[in-house]
Amino acid sequence: MIRKERRHNFFINKPLQLRYMGILTAILLVILLVSLASAYFGIWGEVLNAFSDEKIQNDLLTASRLQQYDEARHARASGQGFSALSFFTQAERLSDRQQEIFKEILNQTHQNLGVKLLLLLALVAAGSLFISHKVAGPLYRFEHVLQQIREGDLTVRCHLRKFDEARSVAHSFNLTLESLNERVSRLEKIVRENEKNPERLLSLLREELSHFKTSADR
Amino acid sequence: MPIVRVGFGLLCLTLLAPLARSQEVLSLEERTLLEKIERDSIEYFIRYSDRETGLTHDSSRPDSPASIAATGFSLASLAIAQSRGWIPRDEAYHQIRRTLETLRSEAYHQNGFFYHFLDPKTGKRVWRSEASSIDTALLLAGALLASQYFPETDIPRLAQTLYERVDWKWMMNGSRLLCHGWKPESGFLPYYWDSYNELILLQALAIGAPKNAIPREAWDAWDRLEDEYNGKRIVYSYTGSLFTYQYAHAFIDFRKLWDRDINYFENSRRASIANWEYSLSFKDQSKTYSETSWGLTACLGPGGYRAYGGKPGLGVQDGTIAPHASIGSLVFTPDLSLAAIKFFYQQYKDSLYGPLGFKDAFNLDKQWWSPEYLGIDQGVSVLMLENFLSNGGIWGRFMTLPAIQKWVELCGLNEPHSLRRNRNISRSAVSSTTSLVR
Repeated sequence: MIRKERRHNFFINKPLQLRYMGILTAILLVILLVSLASAYFGIWGEVLNAFSDEKIQNDLLTASRLQQYDEARHARASGQGFSALSFFTQAERLSDRQQEIFKEILNQTHQNLGVKLLLLLALVAAGSLFISHKVAGPLYRFEHVLQQIREGDLTVRCHLRKFDEARSVAHSFNLTLESLNERVSRLEKIVRENEKNPERLLSLLREELSHFKTSADR
Repeated sequence: MPIVRVGFGLLCLTLLAPLARSQEVLSLEERTLLEKIERDSIEYFIRYSDRETGLTHDSSRPDSPASIAATGFSLASLAIAQSRGWIPRDEAYHQIRRTLETLRSEAYHQNGFFYHFLDPKTGKRVWRSEASSIDTALLLAGALLASQYFPETDIPRLAQTLYERVDWKWMMNGSRLLCHGWKPESGFLPYYWDSYNELILLQALAIGAPKNAIPREAWDAWDRLEDEYNGKRIVYSYTGSLFTYQYAHAFIDFRKLWDRDINYFENSRRASIANWEYSLSFKDQSKTYSETSWGLTACLGPGGYRAYGGKPGLGVQDGTIAPHASIGSLVFTPDLSLAAIKFFYQQYKDSLYGPLGFKDAFNLDKQWWSPEYLGIDQGVSVLMLENFLSNGGIWGRFMTLPAIQKWVELCGLNEPHSLRRNRNISRSAVSSTTSLVR
């Protein structure tokens, strides 16, 4: 069964939602990237520092040397690709071969991180769309109801979905409308019941209108 | 196309000439320098071999593992050192015996093939290295050579035990060629010794082995790839590294051996000249190269260990050269090598020469000087210097080994095929004539 309240379009107020999404995504991404960069450089910096330890240095050198022996014997070509190793000042303490190994590790890490970042970006976009939808939906409702009020319909009410934002505002808004509707209804009733007694009608109207505060009071 | 097309007698004279000529013309100063380099290089094996096990470190770098190839060169070097009176005979004998005992009873091996890298203290396999065919061959060559220097001792028996323990057929893994190695984790390596390089020594020991020898047909199974460089036709190794033209020659005297019509001594002489010419062709681009500064081979470089080499072959170069490359070619190109050795020693003594001989390599463009000595590089220097200075002293001993004689005989290496073919034709002709007369 299709729920009555279900909205079929993700974009209810496209410009608002897009702006909302953009701001939200940008803020989230900035926070995310700053955190990620500090963690990334911190962790790799520590790893590279650890490699400066003499024992680890020797082990690493032996490992890379043995690999080089193999490469020389089997005449395999070693690839040279892009690397972000130059961002690390710690790398200056490593030998060329060690730097090559780290480049390979970093490139591998970047590939993995790249995929995950794209996934994260998609999730942030979907999340912001969802959140903006929860904000834009109620706004659209309010706008629609206000339009009907402007046209004189005081019987309309603003109905929001269960998990929409601004449900309490909508509740107050509906109470206000309810009150307004009651008062205008009462005015209508007074007019209807005292059409043949203008003096009483005027008196009752004055009495009833004294509860309103408008620009005409100034 | 066969590499050697000149007359057999003429070529023999050509081949024997370099060694004989240089022996005569060496000045006292030159001889003293070469002996100093040989003696200092031997010192590496004394200093970097474990006192208890005798296993030799791969390099002078701290925490370097033991290398079985370096250990093989160590056995040979110790034997040479005592023969020259540089160390007492007893000391060399005990050290060699101790090493062979370690190899027999403690060093990790698979079917007789030792693991490439071992813990120098215990002989246990380290760094998940492979049971290596070529490195076992280099070790055995050193052990068998050492046994020739101590004929009346138990060293020949120990060396023979190690040799007989090797299951060479197993290392073929059911193929026609010898595999590079085997690992417990993954089995045989995906590489086979399938074209010309240091494999000749491995093939010689495997075909000539007293037990589990590989079939003689394996000798024909590998490729003799030929190409030309500056008018020189060469059976070349894939990398073009000089060591591939030297290692087998450090032990085996190829001057009178013929593989079909190929003489590998002449081949190495041409390869050495080609290597010199190739580096000279980059003279304008690199400060390292000059007429007296050459030698592209596998060695340490600014970016680590690389298979530098000349043409034909890959021809990888970046201005890094290794003194042991020109020393290793001393028997092939005495004039070019001697000039280089003198130049390196005189010009770069402070940066390049140390108490254990020449350090591994240098690169003037990057102002890089190797801080290390490598065991196998010191080893090939020692053996080639000894061959050069003692007029083939190692060759003479190694060639009399029954295994080597068996290999030479089985593979028909005593004379060029063309000569044999001509003789057979002549015999047929005589036979036909005789039958006609009858």
